[in-house]
Amino acid sequence: MDLYPLYNSLRIALISTVLIFFMGIGTAYYVARMPKAIKGILDVLLTVPLVLPPTVVGYLLLRFLGPHRLVGAFFFENFDIRLTMTWWSTIFATVVVAFPLMYRTTRGAFESFDRNVENAARTLGLSGSFIFWRIRIPCCKAGIIAGLVLAFARALGEYGATSMISGYTPGITATISTTVYNLWRTNNDDLAYKWVLLNLLISALVLVFLNLFEERRRKS
Amino acid sequence: MRSFRKALILLLSGFAAGCDKPHDAGVVNEQPEKNTVKQQNVTVTVFAAASLTESLTMLGNKFQEKHPGIRILFNFDSSGTLKRQIEEGAVSDIFISAAPKQMNELENGGRVLSGSRIDLLENKVTLAVPENNQYQFNSFGDLAEKLHDCRVPFAVGNADVPVGQYSQKIFSYLGLKQDELEKMGCLSYGSNVKEVTIQISEGMVTAGIVYATDAVSAKLKVVDTATEQMCGRVIYPAALLKNTRVQTQAEAFLNYLSSEEAKKVFEQIGFTLLKK
Repeated sequence: MDLYPLYNSLRIALISTVLIFFMGIGTAYYVARMPKAIKGILDVLLTVPLVLPPTVVGYLLLRFLGPHRLVGAFFFENFDIRLTMTWWSTIFATVVVAFPLMYRTTRGAFESFDRNVENAARTLGLSGSFIFWRIRIPCCKAGIIAGLVLAFARALGEYGATSMISGYTPGITATISTTVYNLWRTNNDDLAYKWVLLNLLISALVLVFLNLFEERRRKS
Repeated sequence: MRSFRKALILLLSGFAAGCDKPHDAGVVNEQPEKNTVKQQNVTVTVFAAASLTESLTMLGNKFQEKHPGIRILFNFDSSGTLKRQIEEGAVSDIFISAAPKQMNELENGGRVLSGSRIDLLENKVTLAVPENNQYQFNSFGDLAEKLHDCRVPFAVGNADVPVGQYSQKIFSYLGLKQDELEKMGCLSYGSNVKEVTIQISEGMVTAGIVYATDAVSAKLKVVDTATEQMCGRVIYPAALLKNTRVQTQAEAFLNYLSSEEAKKVFEQIGFTLLKK
């Protein structure tokens, strides 16, 4: 059994999670401080990929990133880089789809963060970035980690937009989900079962991790 | 208009009573009754190869205009997927496959109404390239040399899709080892011919193997057409399925697909209508 899809899926999910971590806390921080009306609008815009069918996300991405389209043509013509059909193309899809999970949970955590703590720190002469990274983030750790785990799981399982933007090229763009689909299409049940089991195992691990984490938090 | 409809329904019920006594006598007796009770709700479901999307949609509309009591419902996908759906019990009246293989398998499984199978159309398999043909694929002969440069993949249908099976034949005719190319990451597999077509037209791949008709519908540039020696003839068989409940109407539609009017539509896209 060629384990490339597992390696590829894990690397895509990890890279997207790192990107989403910074994007998520950044946007959550600024959006949480906005006036209510603007917050409402931004919230809808930023969360919409979560409720859109992944095929719609894939369609829109292709309309921007395809080598003949706006952004894709720019990179293709100037740098000879294709944004589609490479292993990292999938990251566009996973980031867009998984970002809202991180953003929403983090924003919730930021909103319940006690501003008095921040203000107290400021009276002690601490810098803004110190307060953000050493006080705010640790205080909101629970929400942020939950968001990260959810985003990671979503990125790992992304199929619809992935298959549209990266296709299925064995050894290059194949992920666990596109491999399972292709094995089903080509009637290769034996291998499909193996991948399905492996996938169940990973998902179970993610959930166990999430539960253990919740439990620890409740104890402390 | 209304009298025309009535006349048509009468005609159809007469047709139903008149033919096919040997099979399913029960269905034949029920048919006229059904037609008078539920006048306009006869739906004929057609499972057809993805490469027929444009032509059949057009013909379905034309047919419905002429026969207001019949609704034609399509499910387009790769013939392999459709075959599996039918085997798993999907409700369908007509199956049109892009290769004899899938139809043979259904026939052997006893799903096809005996005697209803015809060879409907013939298509060609082509090498199609994106607009600017940046990678300069000019003929199937170029594949041997160009396919091994794998920075950008080459698009084919997967092993379950007829166009993928024709591609396999072309590869082996050219002496190319498909599993080797696959291991090197040079091949992108589409799950039906339309996916392959899009990947070519969007310039996401170097080139790809699709049907002549899909190339025409998507306005792709075709640089070479496979000969019969390369991949055999590309025949589209069509048949009624055994569990159809609207045999008369389904038969009418299938006959319509062999008519002069249908011939024009098919030929516009690049199909050849085969004589029965």
